[in-house]
Amino acid sequence: MKKNFAARAATLTVALSVIAGLTACGEGRELNPNVYENKNQYVKYAEDGTLLEIQKPDKIKLVTDTNLTVENGQEKFRDEYVRLTGIDLDLEQPAHNQYYEKINLSFAGGEMPDIMEVGNTYYPNYANYGALFDMTEIWEESDLKNGRLKDWNGDVVTINEKYVDALKITSDKNKDGIITEDEKNRLYGFPMARGNGTVTYVRGDWLKELGEANKLGYNHKNDAPTYKGKAIDFDEGFIEEFGEYMEYMPRNYDEFLSMLRAFKSKRADIIPITAAGLINSEAPYDIYLREFYQDARPDFYMPEGSDKYVDGMSEPKMIDALQRMRDAFKEGLMDREIITNKTSTSRNKFYEDKVGCFNYWSGMWCKTLNQDLQKKNADGVAVPMPPLAETEYIERPPTALAITTAAQNPWGVYKWICEFSHDGNDGQMLFSRGVEGEVIKDGDKVKEITGHYKWIEEKKSAEALTPMASPDSKDLVQKGWISPELSINSFPDPIYIEDKITSSLDMFAKTSRVNPVPKMTLNIADAMTEISTIREEVIAKVVKGEKSPQEGVKEYETRASREIATMMKELNG
Amino acid sequence: MASTTKSVRPTEQLGRLQSKNKKRGIGGRIKRYANFYVMFIPVLVILFLFYYLPMYGIKYAFTEFTPFGEATWIGLDNFTKLFEAQRFWNAFNNTLFLSIINLVLSMVFSVGIALLMNEIGRLFIKKVVQTVIYLPHFLSWVVVAGIFTIILSQETGVVNLILEKMGFDRIDFLTNEGWWRSIFFFINRWKETGWGTIIFIAALSGISPDLYEAAEIDGAGRLKQTWYITIPSLMNTILVVFILNLAKIMNIFESVFVLYNASVYNVADVIQTYTYRVGMQGTFNYGYSTAVGLFKSVVALVLVGFSNIMSSKVTGKGIV
Repeated sequence: MKKNFAARAATLTVALSVIAGLTACGEGRELNPNVYENKNQYVKYAEDGTLLEIQKPDKIKLVTDTNLTVENGQEKFRDEYVRLTGIDLDLEQPAHNQYYEKINLSFAGGEMPDIMEVGNTYYPNYANYGALFDMTEIWEESDLKNGRLKDWNGDVVTINEKYVDALKITSDKNKDGIITEDEKNRLYGFPMARGNGTVTYVRGDWLKELGEANKLGYNHKNDAPTYKGKAIDFDEGFIEEFGEYMEYMPRNYDEFLSMLRAFKSKRADIIPITAAGLINSEAPYDIYLREFYQDARPDFYMPEGSDKYVDGMSEPKMIDALQRMRDAFKEGLMDREIITNKTSTSRNKFYEDKVGCFNYWSGMWCKTLNQDLQKKNADGVAVPMPPLAETEYIERPPTALAITTAAQNPWGVYKWICEFSHDGNDGQMLFSRGVEGEVIKDGDKVKEITGHYKWIEEKKSAEALTPMASPDSKDLVQKGWISPELSINSFPDPIYIEDKITSSLDMFAKTSRVNPVPKMTLNIADAMTEISTIREEVIAKVVKGEKSPQEGVKEYETRASREIATMMKELNG
Repeated sequence: MASTTKSVRPTEQLGRLQSKNKKRGIGGRIKRYANFYVMFIPVLVILFLFYYLPMYGIKYAFTEFTPFGEATWIGLDNFTKLFEAQRFWNAFNNTLFLSIINLVLSMVFSVGIALLMNEIGRLFIKKVVQTVIYLPHFLSWVVVAGIFTIILSQETGVVNLILEKMGFDRIDFLTNEGWWRSIFFFINRWKETGWGTIIFIAALSGISPDLYEAAEIDGAGRLKQTWYITIPSLMNTILVVFILNLAKIMNIFESVFVLYNASVYNVADVIQTYTYRVGMQGTFNYGYSTAVGLFKSVVALVLVGFSNIMSSKVTGKGIV
């Protein structure tokens, strides 16, 4: 028996080796590296060199990751797109947790989309692998960039170019180590919307109560919150919704700690501050716990005025940041379960009326947090706190609409997807608000809701019809595919967006910086896996008090020394 | 005497059949059993399509391969990179440790509970007990992790509240390296022990009552009957289950993934969670992932081979 088994195992091994040897390298799939050579087939210029005409594609294959589900009216969206443009739209939305797997399989199987939604973690990788069309030239020549698009009201559509710039990267696709000036800052994707980021929400009702009882240890009755030394120009909605709490808001770290201590002494079961982990799992890594990280950055970054990357984990200010977190944890100001918290668990703690401060997304979540908190405590208010003097908020790079190099007519795809969805007109209405519909009633009962909104006055105002995301929700629709409140251009949106949403976004926009897309190569990706793991471990150990901040940073530098060296070489080499 | 006659006849028949078959030759035998071969074709096709054909992909372990271009032959570079990664060896050791201990505990508890259940005389109680202990198996790991995270919560968990009432300090069960593995094993047993008993309960019902009757006449008590009849009768089943599970021990993922965190990577990170994190960085390096997969398969093959040898030594016959 033993002999038989050995013989069988040996046969199998030999067979596998033969198969592997015989089929050493399979056939590769061609993308479309010569797409530029076909340009004149699709683009016509005026005599003065301006873009005159772009040939309309017959069909566009679009793959999306968010919102355009069948339940959200994908079929109607497609029909309306075809009606408005005359282009056949092949639209797919894989399951969210399998999105990139499906995208990769489509490349491996030669069924690539013309254009797809790509998050900032994956965007530079796809560009590096030559999967994305370099759209720098088309953007520079486009109607949107050059102010040739007009909205419903006849006004020129303007765009906030910082979000386009945030997606400009230096691709490493040549892999020869030599990058010419022409290859720097190239655009491989168009921003769908603002990247958005997190703000710290504070329980306004507790804050006011403690402030009025003089238990906070500070007061700001006569001075307005500032950002980088200047008073923040809050919009009217913010003042109306949250203005009454501003005099009690902490302005610096010491006051923030006083507030947390006051929360702790208010009730035994209160968690003064919680978050979904000590460090984010993807860049920007320090998007949570801004009050503790302050100016320290647990990542490789290029300091202002420098042209070289540094390792933020090894900087002295990181030791200070770790010390702040460790002290707060030890004092019981920070959630004891912060290491194991998921976003949902920390959110639920907030809804259960147990949490004083919680760092979470601005915009739509400002409304949701308030709404769900008030189910437990009708007086509960989640107030977005302006950043402390020592810090600022961080905006993620935008999600990109990236044209693949498989697209035969990338100019056409840009024109009828990227630009059409930001045209300040019917296209943008469809992409951001969905399809017009109506409420069909049977007597007093709602029988069917056929679309997302109904025009009240032609292209001036509209009323929202359907619940957003969850059919059980009582909230009216806010978006079709691309979130209108995160619009990057001057869209005369006919549907009212609540102050809680717009004002928190406005405050965030005025007090944040946009994080650049992380530089990525195959070596960087490899090294970052190990670095991220060690960084997470070390920060957890320091905060739990198992190591001092100095010991923690030293452990990080020792254990990740090889990977850190790789990173510095790849980033600065 | 009657039983001896019964046991001899089929053997004789089988011997005669085998010698007839030998005389017929392969062609004759195929012709004779043609109908069986036709029925076997779908199985063969499925085996070929879904088990053997995918082995073609093993070649990518020796290439640098992304979905965006041709695979480049790089020999053993992926394996060199894998074996040089300290994190990989930590994950490899954890995989073996967590899986093997879990497997041993699984066998001990499943067999033990199956034996206890076998002793329950009242059918209604037996059914209720079976239903109750099977139920956790049908909960997804995410739900199980959620339940135990709440129970073991340092802030509000019932276990810590009891510990505090008893005058002990609260324990951070899920973020403490010293506690994590014990908790992991406990949760695994809570979820899977009941389900693991099914096959042993079935095997127990197949043991001839004559053997127990004879033992009783010889004066053997319950314990001796268990030791000398039940366990030896179950031994083949135990070995089969053990070897089948041993082949899967490198696949441990979900149970660890939902329970681990940065504080316990040292004792909890397994190969699958390690490769998941590698994938999360978006390298799209399918060549490397295939190399990890191939290595896992080779280790599993070695383990199965080892078990087979052990089985031959212990019982006198292997099962592979």
